[in-house]
Amino acid sequence: MNMIEVDGLAKRFGQFIAVDNISFKVDKGEIFGLLGPNGAGKTTTIRCLLTLIPMTAGQASVAGINVLKKPQQVREVSGYVPQDVSVDGDLTGYENLLFYAKLFHISRSVRQERIQEVIQFMELTDKTNELARTYSGGMMRRLEIGQVLVNRPRVLFLDEPSIGLDPAAKRMVWDYIERLRDEFEATILLTTHDMNEADHLCDRIAIMNGGKIVVIGPPAELKAGLGGDIITVTSANANCRQALQQLGYRLLPQSQDSACDLVVDEGERKIPEILDRLKSEGVNTLSVSLKIGTLDDVFLKYAGKRIGEGDLTWQTTISARRTARRHGQ
Amino acid sequence: MKAVRLFTDIFIITDFELRKVWHDVSQIFIRAVQPVLWLLVFGEVFAQTRLLPTGNYNYLQFLTPGVLAQSVIFVAIFYGFNLVMDRDMGLLHKLLSTPIPRYSIVLGKTLSAGVRSVIQALVVFILALILRVHLILNPLTISGVLVIIILTGMCFSSLSIFLASFFKTRERMMGIGQAIVMPLFFASSAIYPIDIMPTWLKVVAHINPLSYIVEAMRALLVTGDYHRITLDFGITVLATAVLVVLASTSFSRIIR
Repeated sequence: MNMIEVDGLAKRFGQFIAVDNISFKVDKGEIFGLLGPNGAGKTTTIRCLLTLIPMTAGQASVAGINVLKKPQQVREVSGYVPQDVSVDGDLTGYENLLFYAKLFHISRSVRQERIQEVIQFMELTDKTNELARTYSGGMMRRLEIGQVLVNRPRVLFLDEPSIGLDPAAKRMVWDYIERLRDEFEATILLTTHDMNEADHLCDRIAIMNGGKIVVIGPPAELKAGLGGDIITVTSANANCRQALQQLGYRLLPQSQDSACDLVVDEGERKIPEILDRLKSEGVNTLSVSLKIGTLDDVFLKYAGKRIGEGDLTWQTTISARRTARRHGQ
Repeated sequence: MKAVRLFTDIFIITDFELRKVWHDVSQIFIRAVQPVLWLLVFGEVFAQTRLLPTGNYNYLQFLTPGVLAQSVIFVAIFYGFNLVMDRDMGLLHKLLSTPIPRYSIVLGKTLSAGVRSVIQALVVFILALILRVHLILNPLTISGVLVIIILTGMCFSSLSIFLASFFKTRERMMGIGQAIVMPLFFASSAIYPIDIMPTWLKVVAHINPLSYIVEAMRALLVTGDYHRITLDFGITVLATAVLVVLASTSFSRIIR
């Protein structure tokens, strides 16, 4: 069953087209990632789905509920963790959870049970009764996710879930997200500009650039679509390139006589074979390096630039920095 | 059932707004500095000069309701600023993604402004008692003043939220806070009687809801003259209702 269906969604701010006619579907229990640089339209897409801002054109449904017709019901089954800090530092961790339990109208009889469950699950036991502003970045993030978990959302929207976190805290958040899907049976839509995150967490990703989805698929499939890994061979012999060509390897155009880039499948298995065959041709190799295709290469292929080269507006930069700062980086 | 839900929603918002104040009580005292200055310095000095025709009452008696109103406005006018802060972080987006209706959020916030105003006004009350300002204090006048204070808090916090949904940035809202409070205060009967104002200012004072708010509190606490109190209450309720509706309808603009 499709938990999210987006058909021809577009959003314009004045003249600026933030989201340009995108369509995708997310299956029940899937972790689906919108991957792209800042300003690609990921957050705007999420906000349209959550009925926070009206869409300019298109149709969408969340858990089978039409976003345009029944916004209130969409919000009842959804949980949203925005990119910026979304817990109230002037309330305690417990109060932050209680606040959302009440906002979601969780009945009094199960309220405490739900809150305690979230505290256990998110490992917030130590500082439940301290003000949230004293929390570390990772802990604050866990509380932010915990706030919406009290509602047991069927669809969870996570905007840049690990932004501004140190590597250890990032790992921890990833673990929680995977367990969330398994234990709470939530369908998860997340946005990220982090290739590793998308690769590690997502069952499928949609790469976004300039408001458009350029390609959709499982990370492994997208990487396979690159045509293989790249092996760089350098040699003291000037006939290296010629030898490789005669052996039938596919060379990239930038290859030189003594430094060649080859495109191969399963690069790590091909290295010994290449070395042996070069030796039998009388070519001595100086060095070999292997570059396995990454999502960054996928992005390069479809968007024509590297993801880090996204056009940062000063607003998104400031927002990202503020988030990083608030999360104690 | 729907009405019950509405009230629960409003009280949830109010409850947690007030818990924040409870976690940091110092802000009540910081916000009290300005009214204390008005009463203790300005009030005491002007009381000596006897320049202002305040009838049968001394100047501190005349001024106390004005300073009460001013302390309330100072609390309320920053609600829009706080909302912009919440928006700049992720708090407001997250709040708006819950099923709670927009107008409940606005009503809850303004009601909490009303309740906070009462706490703030208590500080002024206590100071007035220490200064031995003679006030009429009985259950009727006290509850009347409480109602006026809550309405005033709601009225001006709605105004602030309404303005925030158009001006949207912290810097502008900071400026607007300053730009509104003082003119409202000076163009009202808060610190001098309307009778001594130049004509143009009289006109402004007559359409300024603050004049009616102050007049109502003055009638209750100082003069005991109730012949205009229905009008005063009526205008206060009307102004509050209009601004709450405006704030509720414009509110979601703030995240666009």
